[in-house]
Amino acid sequence: MAADDQRSLLEHRLVIVTGKGGTGKTTVSAALALAAARAGLRTLVAEVGPDEQIPRLLNPRAPEAGYAGCAILPGLRAMRIDPFEALAEYLGLQLGVPAIVDAVVRNSAFRQLMTAAPGWRELITLGKIWHLAQLESEAPPGRQFDFIVVDAPATGHGVAFLDVPRVVVSAVRTGPLHAHAERVEQMLEDSDHTLVLPVALAEELPAREIAELTGRVRDEMGISIDRVIVNAVVGPPFPAEISDLDEVLARLDGNLALGALPPPRVLTRCARYLRSRHELNRRFTAEIQHSTGLPIVELPRIPDGIQGPDQISSLASALLASPVFLE
Amino acid sequence: MTPDPKFDAMLADREVVVCVGCGGAGKTTVAAALALEAARRGRKALVLTIDPARRLADAMGVESLGNRPQEISRESLDALGVPGAGNLSAMMLDMKRTFDDLVERFAESDEIRDRVFENSIYQHVSNALAGTVEYSAMEKVFEMHESGAFDLIVVDTPPAQHALDFLEAPQRLLEFLDSRLVKMLIHPAFKAGRFGFRLFHRATQRVLHVLERITGIGFLEDLSEFLIAFDAMSVGFRDRAHRVRSLLLGPRSTFVLVSGPGQISARHATDFLDRLEGYGVSLAGVLVNRVRLWPSQGPPPADEPRRTADVEALRDALWAGEGADYPAELAAEAAADAATRYAAWVRADARSAQPLRERIEAQGCFWGCIPELERDVHDLSSLGCVADRIAGKDEEP
Repeated sequence: MAADDQRSLLEHRLVIVTGKGGTGKTTVSAALALAAARAGLRTLVAEVGPDEQIPRLLNPRAPEAGYAGCAILPGLRAMRIDPFEALAEYLGLQLGVPAIVDAVVRNSAFRQLMTAAPGWRELITLGKIWHLAQLESEAPPGRQFDFIVVDAPATGHGVAFLDVPRVVVSAVRTGPLHAHAERVEQMLEDSDHTLVLPVALAEELPAREIAELTGRVRDEMGISIDRVIVNAVVGPPFPAEISDLDEVLARLDGNLALGALPPPRVLTRCARYLRSRHELNRRFTAEIQHSTGLPIVELPRIPDGIQGPDQISSLASALLASPVFLE
Repeated sequence: MTPDPKFDAMLADREVVVCVGCGGAGKTTVAAALALEAARRGRKALVLTIDPARRLADAMGVESLGNRPQEISRESLDALGVPGAGNLSAMMLDMKRTFDDLVERFAESDEIRDRVFENSIYQHVSNALAGTVEYSAMEKVFEMHESGAFDLIVVDTPPAQHALDFLEAPQRLLEFLDSRLVKMLIHPAFKAGRFGFRLFHRATQRVLHVLERITGIGFLEDLSEFLIAFDAMSVGFRDRAHRVRSLLLGPRSTFVLVSGPGQISARHATDFLDRLEGYGVSLAGVLVNRVRLWPSQGPPPADEPRRTADVEALRDALWAGEGADYPAELAAEAAADAATRYAAWVRADARSAQPLRERIEAQGCFWGCIPELERDVHDLSSLGCVADRIAGKDEEP
């Protein structure tokens, strides 16, 4: 059953892709950015983690994007938000005098403090995103975006990441920091503007995590979340009339010679593996839907893993499918 | 994995085994299975996990609260093949509690303790204070090791943005407390309302000015209050941090890198190894979790066009077994497809792990692949299957 009253992913301005490490969050971010650029939106995809993967997923000849960012495909830019660089930029905007900013950022006591200080990396990163998402009249030419995708840190870190503005607003009671955090918080809570897109695998532990994540994001932080991407789903491995193929194969003589084909003993294991992965995926997709109360978009498992643009491209269209409540 | 004396020696002799690796590799499961395997070999093992994977926790009898080790019942241990001499406990780190306990222990007076607990910064950020998860985990390992109740502690480390945050965390916390900026914030002149400007280094003054301008003075006053209270505890803290580090980097401990299959995992694992080497950490070996292995001797067959005669032989066998009504033609093709699909997975997993494997074996460390289970690991019996597979006691169908 299709979920009605769903807006398309591309009707938001900022989509924050989040999920546990290993769920394919980065792949989904890349595919979403590609889908948006293809739809004619001026798109930015921003990575937050320590290493940069997206430019090369989308274009093997792409240079390192870094904090300055670079165009990787027509209508699509990528960047990696490094907190120290964002901090230097922010201080520049606040203080105006480059020499002072430079002296402060390079001061060893300051770096020591910032290395240990909590929360600022998340806040400054979200602040940079807020800045990028401002109305285009305020952005320089070539840096105006209709659609921004953020590949958030893995869950755990990912939820804390979104919670920081709220914590800062309550821990710092007045002053500029308070005001900035409040602006970022408002951006996150604006459901016309911002969407959190969780990516999960249909397996036990990721399924459980995603329920906790959606609960916290939606109910505690008040940030909009309207579907779950279930990634790497193994579809029905055999036609319906032979859905118990592995059991049938197991009844054959296990060592029967079949020329270049593996013997039934081995065929049985292969078939059983595919079937059990499929059944496991189906069971936990249902559990994700049940525990989050959200409709699902399924992405197929890509047997050889994601190697580059071709696979990303095939995921891009699947990603835009309307989310459904599975039977 | 294939049985390996280096792996056996690790489980027999070491007192702390630290499982490191990126998130998503199944580190928690592997850590729990290693502890179980050690218990099966007669050791008193504890697995300390950070990941609140509830069903595994429930199955192991670990509650999220309590922050204390819980023993797995003798009945369950018997069913898992743990001999009388061995036992298995599990605990889940409650980070906030561990940190509060530290404050309790090292605060010189009740007044200081209460000042820390009541400080708005401590309340809001003690969960987020850089390195507290990592620090708390290592602190707990040390406490459990000191207790003498266990022969072996297997640690599931938190997924860290930077690979070895947990080793660096104590040091970083101390450097922070020692830094000029912090010293300035905890100086009585600051509390008095204005900075004692002449007293301090000019560059540090400038930084403080900038901070004040950005955060507001109220925040800096709260921070100062927090740091003053914290500084009063730093002697005990310092000594403790040093001992935690000595234990983890000393001969009684070793590290196991847990990775997942696939190219991206292999690349992360390689980065991780580089950093571990930089630390001079003793690496016992690498376990690649959830690898798809070919269910027969040797590698999977090459991806060649299928021979009609072979598929027909299978079809005929299916007809003979299931009767003439069975859609054997369809089934024979589907079975051959399944083998082709699975073989592609197996080849991809082996290919992506090969460079890492060569490097590890050249270093004289163990290399183990843990075959993917056909079901999820969520109870003690499936954990037992993972332990079987780690130990090379893999069952054939």
